[in-house]
Amino acid sequence: MTGNAYPIDVWGLLAALLMVALAAGVSGLMRLGIGRSLLWSACRALLQLCAMGLVMGFVIHAGDPWLVVALLAVMLVAGVQITLSRAKGVPRGLAGPVLLSLAVTLLLMLTVVTGLIVRPTPWYAPQLVVPLAGMLLGNTVSALAVGLSRFFESMQERRDEIGTLLALGASPWEAAKPSVVSSIRLGLTPTTASLASAGIVTIPGMMAGQVIAGGDPLGAAKYQFVILAAIAALTLLADGLIMLCVYRTCFDAEGRLRPARTTARTAAKATA
Amino acid sequence: MTPLFTARDIRCAIPAPGGGEHVVFDGVSFALDAGEIVDVTGPSGSGKSSLLTAFARLNPYASETLTLDGRDAASLTPQQWRRLVAYVPQRPSLIGTTVAQAVRLPWTLAVRRDAPDAGAPPSDGAVRAMLDAMGCADVELERAPHDLSGGQAARVSLARALLSGPLVLLADEVDAGLDDDNARLVADLLARTVRDAGLAVVRIRHRAPDGRASRILRLDRGQLTDISRIDAPQHEEEAR
Repeated sequence: MTGNAYPIDVWGLLAALLMVALAAGVSGLMRLGIGRSLLWSACRALLQLCAMGLVMGFVIHAGDPWLVVALLAVMLVAGVQITLSRAKGVPRGLAGPVLLSLAVTLLLMLTVVTGLIVRPTPWYAPQLVVPLAGMLLGNTVSALAVGLSRFFESMQERRDEIGTLLALGASPWEAAKPSVVSSIRLGLTPTTASLASAGIVTIPGMMAGQVIAGGDPLGAAKYQFVILAAIAALTLLADGLIMLCVYRTCFDAEGRLRPARTTARTAAKATA
Repeated sequence: MTPLFTARDIRCAIPAPGGGEHVVFDGVSFALDAGEIVDVTGPSGSGKSSLLTAFARLNPYASETLTLDGRDAASLTPQQWRRLVAYVPQRPSLIGTTVAQAVRLPWTLAVRRDAPDAGAPPSDGAVRAMLDAMGCADVELERAPHDLSGGQAARVSLARALLSGPLVLLADEVDAGLDDDNARLVADLLARTVRDAGLAVVRIRHRAPDGRASRILRLDRGQLTDISRIDAPQHEEEAR
């Protein structure tokens, strides 16, 4: 690591914030109603990113594998919380399955990408492991949130169809399958799109970062491909895992469709 | 002779929004012989559909003790049970891009794929003959199910259930959306199938009695009573 080829000073940060403030001002003039939250989110992002930068700096410097594990654990828990807050209309009690899906895919990511492909020394190299985990979690968290929302929405829409399928002798899996398929597809759409547009329309963040930091563009491209491919595969896996954990909760032990479980929360909201 | 189908101690209780529960019926018993057509009537909300879905082991609010052909319900998986005790819901749901596909859907399910006695999916000719007999001669097999009228869809849904060869058919107001002529065709067909194939049928009906039923039961305030020996038509009027 040679450090940034073109470092950013405090004035750079202020200029970026000023741009957001200007955009917020325009939004206020046009009465779009998002100026305040845009400004607020930008400040939050600045704080969170700087904090992460400091923490990562500390963890890299300390070189203690347990610190890396602890940081990953915090990121996992935050990932679960963000998934559940973003997924709309899902029942309670999904924290376990979400944590399981995220943890399994994260472990696989670390095993395959760091253990087999990059093989850093030491094996827990924080400057590799932590950003990788962040990129993977960012992708799986949104895929899971979209997938879960879509699944329960679809199960609700298909109530009559599911009733008919069960009456004809379908197992819970057979009855739920169309909803599982449509939610995995929807959850994976941004991932496939990012794979297809990478290098033509977009220079993905990791490659851009390496090139800006003075790295070899072809080397950066290879790195980026490995990451994109791994993320795509693991996002599909995470979505599949969560569906396997969750679809059965819509049915009881006799394979009967549970009564409007997914509407319980919406109903509670409506009466509140 | 042991009845083809028995149900004992059927209880259905729906959790009330404010806590507690609303008992729809409790301790209801029912038996059905092969070759029988039994009508169930009663005011709306009395739990007729809940009763039929409990028979099919589909009702999550119900508990029941069932036998089929002398066998305990527990000896069959819910899926095997529902293959033999077919519930035809009030709102038809036809899954597939064509009518033919929708009718053959049951044979795509594991419970029939894995059962040696389930038979092959019906041929185009068999589906055609069944639909014709129901007054659906104008429904082409290649038609998209969502193009069908409500009455046509209800009959295709019934055809699917009949072709799948159940022992007990539970028909939830399948003739509700039909005109008198077509309702008669459907009743004729059911009576013929009951006679030829030896299955038994329970119909929820709001129409006037059509003379096909061997018994007419009335479900009201949690009680299931046989009204066929009293003045059936009058009760039927009340139910409307």
